[in-house]
Amino acid sequence: MDVTPEFVSEGLSRARYVTNQRVETAVFLALALDKPLLIEGPAGVGKTEVAKVLAELLDAELIRLQCYEGLDQAHALYEWNYQKQLLRIQTDQRQGLNWDEVRQHIFSADYLLERPLLKAITTPHRAVLLIDEVDKADEEFEAFLLELLSDFQVTVPELGTIRATKAPAAVLTSNRARELSEALRRRCLYLFIDFPGVEQERRIIELKVPGMEARLAAEVARFVNALRKLELRKPPSIAEALDWARALLRLRLKELEAQSIRSTLGLLLKHEEDRARAEARVGALLGRS
Amino acid sequence: MTTLFGRLHDFVAALRAAGIRVSVGETMDAMRAVAAVGLWPGPMREALAAALVKDEADRPLFDRIFDRCFSSAASRGKSGQPAGATDPQAAGQGRAGASSCGEKAPSRAPDHANADHPRFKGKAAPAPRRHADPHALHSLSGRDELSAARGIPAGVQPSPPTRGEAPAAADRAAPFEDAQPGWAARAARMRALELKPFAAYTEVDYAAAREALEKLRRLFQTRPGRRLARASFGQLDFRRTIRAGLQRGGVMAELKMRARRPDHAELLLLADLSGSVRYAAELALELIAALGRCFRRLQAFAYVDRLSEASFERGYLVLTPPLDLYARSDFGLVLEQLWRELGPTLNRQTVVVILGDGRNNRRPPRLELLRALGERCRAVVWLSPEPRERWGIGDSALLQYAREVDALVSCENLRQLSSALVRLPRHKAAGSRAVAGRHRPAFWQSAKAGFALP
Repeated sequence: MDVTPEFVSEGLSRARYVTNQRVETAVFLALALDKPLLIEGPAGVGKTEVAKVLAELLDAELIRLQCYEGLDQAHALYEWNYQKQLLRIQTDQRQGLNWDEVRQHIFSADYLLERPLLKAITTPHRAVLLIDEVDKADEEFEAFLLELLSDFQVTVPELGTIRATKAPAAVLTSNRARELSEALRRRCLYLFIDFPGVEQERRIIELKVPGMEARLAAEVARFVNALRKLELRKPPSIAEALDWARALLRLRLKELEAQSIRSTLGLLLKHEEDRARAEARVGALLGRS
Repeated sequence: MTTLFGRLHDFVAALRAAGIRVSVGETMDAMRAVAAVGLWPGPMREALAAALVKDEADRPLFDRIFDRCFSSAASRGKSGQPAGATDPQAAGQGRAGASSCGEKAPSRAPDHANADHPRFKGKAAPAPRRHADPHALHSLSGRDELSAARGIPAGVQPSPPTRGEAPAAADRAAPFEDAQPGWAARAARMRALELKPFAAYTEVDYAAAREALEKLRRLFQTRPGRRLARASFGQLDFRRTIRAGLQRGGVMAELKMRARRPDHAELLLLADLSGSVRYAAELALELIAALGRCFRRLQAFAYVDRLSEASFERGYLVLTPPLDLYARSDFGLVLEQLWRELGPTLNRQTVVVILGDGRNNRRPPRLELLRALGERCRAVVWLSPEPRERWGIGDSALLQYAREVDALVSCENLRQLSSALVRLPRHKAAGSRAVAGRHRPAFWQSAKAGFALP
C-alpha cells in the first residue's frame, strides 16, 4: 500500500478525527519514513486517539502497551509459560524422551507467552504499536525500548533473534511526568498536540455529539476555551468538553446561561478549588465568550 | 538538488547555532521527510519540525529560523494569500484539496495545484540550481526559479524579516487558531526551575519550587512504594513453591516468589538551615516528609549551630525548639549534640543523611565524632548543594568531612536533590542480590568505589 499525504488526511477525516496540518504531516511522515512517532501534550487532547485512528486508517491491529512504574520485560516483551512447560516435561518423561528432545519441545514458540512488544514484532501483518504514557515507565525500560525502536528486533536467548517481518507503526505518548531521554527523542519523530482552538473544538463537538445545534456547539467551545485560559490545576480535556456538551443536550438547553453552567460545572472540572475558582468567574467567562 | 541539500544543511547549522541540538541522524530524517512531503511550504515546515524539533519549547525558535532561511516560502504564506497552505483550517479540510486552496486564494495560479502538490516529489520539484549563500541565509539564491515554478511573479520579493515579524510568525505557526502555549511553556519553565542551581535561588524561585514539589511529592509517595511492592519477580521462595506443588500432586506448577519487604532502615536527616543552602535544606525537609512510610522511622532535624527537630504542619516548617537562623553555623557543635542526645538510639539500621555546605566558620570540625557515627550507623551520606568547585574553599570543611562519610553527593539543583532522595529506600540486602543486575545499587553502596568522593 502506497502511503500518500492525501491517504492520511482522508483516512483521518474518515475516522472522524479532526486534525490540522501538523498532525497530518507528522502521521504521514511516521508511516512514510517508518519511524516511531512521539506525541506529547497535556492530558486529554487525543494523543492516544491518534494511534487508534492510525490503526483504523491502516486497517491494522492495535497493540497497546500501557506503561507504568515498575513495568519490566516480562510484562512488556515475553515470558515462558512455565505451567505448560512443566506439563510437557511430565508427558515427555512418561514417553521416555531424552533431554535434547524435551528441550526442543519446551523452548519453542508454543510455550512463549507473547507480551505486547513481541506480539507487535511477530504479527505477520503490519500492526500499530501504541506505547502509552512512556514517561511513566522507569528509565531502565526506556533504555530497553531504544534497541527495540531502532531495529524492531528482539533477542530471546533460547530462540535467537526475532526480527519484525513488517515493522509496526509505533506511536509513543507522553504526558511529561518525567523528562524523556535525548536518545529516545532522537529516534522518534516528534509531534506536540495542544488543546484545540475554538473553531477546531466546535468542529469536534459537532462531529461527536450528533443533534447539537451549531450555535450552542460554538458557545460551548468558546466557554471551554475561556475556561482553559484560567490558571487551573487541571484544565478540562476534550473528552470532558464532549461529556458536558452531551449533558447540555440532555438538559434540552438552547443556549448557555450562568445558572445551568454552575450546576453542570462538575462535568468539566474535577477539583474543588478549580470549580470554586471557575464558578466565581462564570459571568465574566460568558461575557467574554 | 545540491542547492536544496545545501540549504537544508545551512538550516540545520542555523538551528544548531541557536542552541537546538540536532544530531546527524535527525538531519538525515529531515532530508527524507522533505523528500516525502515535497516543497510545499506548510507541510515542509511541519515535516522539518517533526524531524528536528523534539521539544515543544524550541518550536517558536524553530519557526523564526525557518522563516529566515526559507523566507520566500514563508512570505508567500504571509503576503500572497490569506488562506494559503499555512492556514491549518484549509489544510485540515483535506488536501486533495490543493484545488480548494486555489479557490480561496485566487492570487495563486491554478497550476500550482500540480507544481505544489505534495506528490510532486523532490526529483520533479523545481529546485534552485545555485548554492545558497551561507552568509546571507535569508537572501535565498534561486528564489526566482522557485517562485517562477510556483506561478508567482519573479518580481515579488519577500521583505527581509524584521524583529517585529518574529512573534507574528510564531503565532501563525501555532497549531490552532488560538491555541494556548500554556502547557509547553509551563513544562519548559518547570525544567528550567529543576535545573536552576540552589545558589541562584530567590524567594520567588523558592515559592515556585514549592509548587513544583507537589508533583515530586506524589512521585515520592508512589515510586518507592510501587518499586517495593513489585513481588512477582526476584527470589524464588522454594518452600512455598513446594507446598503449592503438593496440591497438584507434586508438580511445581506455580512459582511462589519471595515478597520484597522494604528495608527496615531508619532515616535521620540533618539539614543546614543557614545562609545560601537554606532553600535546598527546606525543600529537602519537605520532600523527605513524603518518604515517611518507606522507613521504619524517620527523624528530620534542622541545624545552624545546634539541632532542632523539624516537621511540617499545614505546609509550614515548624522547628522545635526554635532556631536562630542568623547564628554562626558550627557543624562541630551539632555533631557533639547529636552524639550526646541521639547517640544511644543510633544503630546499624540507621542511615544518616546530612545536607549542608560544611562551612564551619573555622571552628573545630570534630571529625572524630563523624567517624564514630559512621562506625555505628549503616551509612552516612552527605548531600552538598554547593557547586563542586567551591567544595573545600574558604571556611568549608567539606573535604575533611568527605573522608569520613560513605558518599558525598552533589545536589546543586532540584532535580539532583530529588533523584538522590528518591533512591534512599531500598530492598532488604538479601533480596536485593537477585535483582542487583536490574536495579542500580543504592548510591552509598557504590560510594566506597569512588562514586562521588573527591
